[in-house]
Amino acid sequence: MLIDSIVKLFNSLLASSNIAYNLIALIIYAIIIFLVLAVFGYMFGWVERKLIAKAQYRHGPTYVGKYGILQNFADLVKLFSKASLDLDNADSILYSTALPILISLTIFTVMLLPIFPSIQATNISFGLLLVFVVIAFMPIAIFLSGYASGNKFADISAQRSILMLLSYEIPLMLVIAAIGLISKGYNLQNIIAMQSNAYYIVLMPIGFAVFFIAMLAEIERPPFDLMEADSELIAGWMTDMSPAYYALALFLDYSKVFMSSLLISILFLGGWLGPAPIPGAVWLLIKAIVIAVIAVIIRATTFRMRIDRILRMGWLILIPLSLINLIITYIVFVG
Amino acid sequence: MKIKREELAQKIGEMKASGYSYLVKITAVDYVDHLTALYFLRDIDKNREETLEIDLAPTDLWLPTIIKAHTSADWYEREMSEMFDIKIKGRKAPRLLLERWDGTEGPLRKGFAWGEDYKSM
Amino acid sequence: MAITRINIGPVHPSTHGVLQLVVDLDGDTIERVDPHIGYLHRGVEKLTETRMYMQNPPYMEKLDYLAPMSYDEAYVSAVEKALGIEVKERAMYIRVILLELQRIASHLFFIGTIGNDLGQMFTLFMWAYMDRDKVLDLLQEATGSRMFYVNMRLGGMLSDLPPDFEERTLETLDYVEKRIKEYESFIEKNPVFHERMKNIGILPPEKALDLGVTGPVLRASGVQYDVRKNSPYYVYDKLHFEIKILTKGDNFARYKLRLLEMRESIRLIKEAFKRMPAGDALGQPVKLRSPPTKNKIVCVSREAPKGELMMYLVADDQKPYRLSIRSPNFINLMAITHMAKGLRTADLFATLGTLDLVMGCVDR
Repeated sequence: MLIDSIVKLFNSLLASSNIAYNLIALIIYAIIIFLVLAVFGYMFGWVERKLIAKAQYRHGPTYVGKYGILQNFADLVKLFSKASLDLDNADSILYSTALPILISLTIFTVMLLPIFPSIQATNISFGLLLVFVVIAFMPIAIFLSGYASGNKFADISAQRSILMLLSYEIPLMLVIAAIGLISKGYNLQNIIAMQSNAYYIVLMPIGFAVFFIAMLAEIERPPFDLMEADSELIAGWMTDMSPAYYALALFLDYSKVFMSSLLISILFLGGWLGPAPIPGAVWLLIKAIVIAVIAVIIRATTFRMRIDRILRMGWLILIPLSLINLIITYIVFVG
Repeated sequence: MKIKREELAQKIGEMKASGYSYLVKITAVDYVDHLTALYFLRDIDKNREETLEIDLAPTDLWLPTIIKAHTSADWYEREMSEMFDIKIKGRKAPRLLLERWDGTEGPLRKGFAWGEDYKSM
Repeated sequence: MAITRINIGPVHPSTHGVLQLVVDLDGDTIERVDPHIGYLHRGVEKLTETRMYMQNPPYMEKLDYLAPMSYDEAYVSAVEKALGIEVKERAMYIRVILLELQRIASHLFFIGTIGNDLGQMFTLFMWAYMDRDKVLDLLQEATGSRMFYVNMRLGGMLSDLPPDFEERTLETLDYVEKRIKEYESFIEKNPVFHERMKNIGILPPEKALDLGVTGPVLRASGVQYDVRKNSPYYVYDKLHFEIKILTKGDNFARYKLRLLEMRESIRLIKEAFKRMPAGDALGQPVKLRSPPTKNKIVCVSREAPKGELMMYLVADDQKPYRLSIRSPNFINLMAITHMAKGLRTADLFATLGTLDLVMGCVDR
C-alpha cells in the first residue's frame, strides 16, 4: 500500500547512517507532529468548549461554521489581528524565546512517543526516561517566561510553576520506575508490547491514579491550574502576553493535553493495542481522546485547589502512594 | 440625644459599656447655619437604638475620633470627613477614601459649587 | 522576608466590579490589604437633593444592581414615612413577596460567583444564573422589567400582581428548592470546596460586631440580628420564619447561611401568598408635587439581601434635604482589611467572595 511504502521510506531515512538524511526526516516528522498537534488542538478546543457548554446548560459556539466548528479559527484570527504589547519591564529576548521553547519541547516529546507501531523518531532503550527529561524542562521554561515578563502576577505564577515541578516530578518518576520494573526496561515499544496480556492500569491501579493526578498537575489542568489561576493571578504567566503569543499559549495548552493523554494511554492503556480491524493508531487516538475528555469533565466540575494544599498532597499522599506502588510492583512482578 | 463634641469619646465609651456595642452609621447633615454629626448606636441584645447628635459651627469643623471604641468607625469617619470637610482629630490622616480631589470641597455641603454640566431642578 | 506589593484591580476577574486592592504579600501569605474604593462614586446622595421625591427611585436602584428592588423600596418607604402615607395592606404583602424573591435572586447570584472565586470554570455560575433568571422572569411578570423595576409607588404598588402569579411563583419556588438541594450535593460533596472554605476567614462574633458587618456575614458569625425580626416592618411580624444563624463565622458558614436564608425566604413567600388579602394595592400615581411633609426627619431600616440598609432622610418641602444611605456593602468591605491578614492569596478572593459585594453600593 502507499502508506506502507511511505512509512518504509521514512523509516529507512530515519535509520540511515547519513546525518543529513536523518535531519531531513526528523524535520519532516516534526512538521507532521506539529500539524497533528494543531489539528488535535483545534478540535480539542472545540470539543472542550462544547462539552463545558453542555455541563453549563449552554450551547457553546454555534454561529461560525456548522456547530460553531470554525469559532476557534475566528478567535485565532482575532487574536492575531490585535495589536501586540510592548512591555517595559520585560527581558524581551528571554520573554520571546520562552514560548517557542515550550512548544518545541512539546513537539519533541510527542516525537519521542510511538504513535504508529512502525513510526517513532528514535527507538532507544531509555525512551521513557528521555520523555520525562524533556517534560521536566517545561515548568522551567514557564518560569523563564513568567520571570522575564516583569509582571508581578506572572512572577508569582513562575514561582508556583517551580514549586509544582518540585512536588510532582517525584511521584511521576517513581511510577515510571515501577513501569520500568514490570517491563524490564524503558523502551516505549517494549512497554506497549508487554501490555498485550494485561494493561498496566489493571496491573497497578494505584500507579495509574498517581500518574493521572500528577500528570494533570504537570500540564496545569484544573484543579491544579495554579499557574493561570484566573481568579487570583488573572492569567498567571500569560498575563502580559501579546495576543498572538497568547494564541500560541492556548495552542501549547491543548498540545500538552494531547501529549499527556497520549502518554497515559501508551503507559497504562496499551497504546495501539486493540481488536484487529481498527488500525493501531486509531486505537491510540481513541484512548487519548477519552483521557482528554475526562480531563475536560474534571475541569468543568471541580474547584481550584490552593497551592499549599497541592504541595501537601504531592508530598504527603502522592509520593507515599507511588512508593507503595513501587514496592507492590517489585514484590509481585520481580521478587 | 444631643451632646457636645468634647464629651463624645467619653459618651461613646459609656454607651458601649451599657450595651450599645454596635455602631450602625456615622453621618452628618448640613443645615447651613450649623452642621449636625450623627452617630447611630445599637444594642443588639436588648434591641434598642440611640442616636447621638453633635452640632458643629461651620467655622469650626472638627470631631474627635471614636475609632478606639468602634473599629467600624474607621471608614465612616473618613467618608464623613471627605463629604463634609470635617476634620477628624486623634487619628492619623489616611489617604482619601471616596474622592479623587483634595478632600476639602465637601461635596455634600449645601454650599458646594456644582459644575457647569449639572443642572439643578 | 521581602514584601511584594501587588495591585489587584480595578480590572480583575474576581473583584466583582471596580474594586482595587493593594495587597502586600509575604510569600503566599497576606500581610495587609488596602481596598481603594470610589471608582463608582456617583454622588447619589447629593443627586437626590436636586430631584423631587418620586424622581429618585431609579437612582436608588442603581446602587445595588443585583437587588435593586430592596433599595427602591427602602427609599420609597422612607418617603412614605416622611409624608405620613399609609401603605395598603395588600400592597404590603406584595412588597414582602417581591422583596423575598429579590433576596432569592441575589443569593443565587452569590452562589454562582463563589464558584468563580474558587476557580471553577463557570459551571456553578451558569447554573445559578439560570435559576436566577427564572426568578427574574417572575419579577418581570410582576413589574414589567427584569433588572430595574421602579414599581414602588407612594402607598402601594405600580400594579397589582398578574392573575396567575401565585401558581407560577409556587412552581418556580419548588423548582428553586429542588435546585438548592442540587447545589448542596454538587458543592458540598466536593472535598476541595470544604478545604477551601472551612476555617478560613474566621470572624468571631465580638470582632464581627466591632467591625460593624451586617446581614448574612454577621449572622454567620453567630449574632442574631435581622431587621425583619428585630424591628419588623410591613407584615413580617405576622409571618412565620426563623432567623438562621451559624456560629462558625468562616467562609463556609457565610456560604451555607445564604442557602438557609433562601429556604426561609421560600417559606415566607408561600405563607405570604396564603395570608394575602384581596383588595386594592395600587399606590398614588407619580406626580411631581407630593403631599406636604409631615415628619421632618425619618430613619428607615431594611434587611436588604446584602445586609442592613438604612435610609436617613431629612425631608424638605418637595424633595429630600439630605438622604444618607447606610450601605451594607460599604461596611462589609471594610472588614476585609481586618480579616485578610494571614490568609493565603487564593483565600483572599474566597473571603472577598463570601462578603458578597456590589461596588455600586459601596461607592454610592
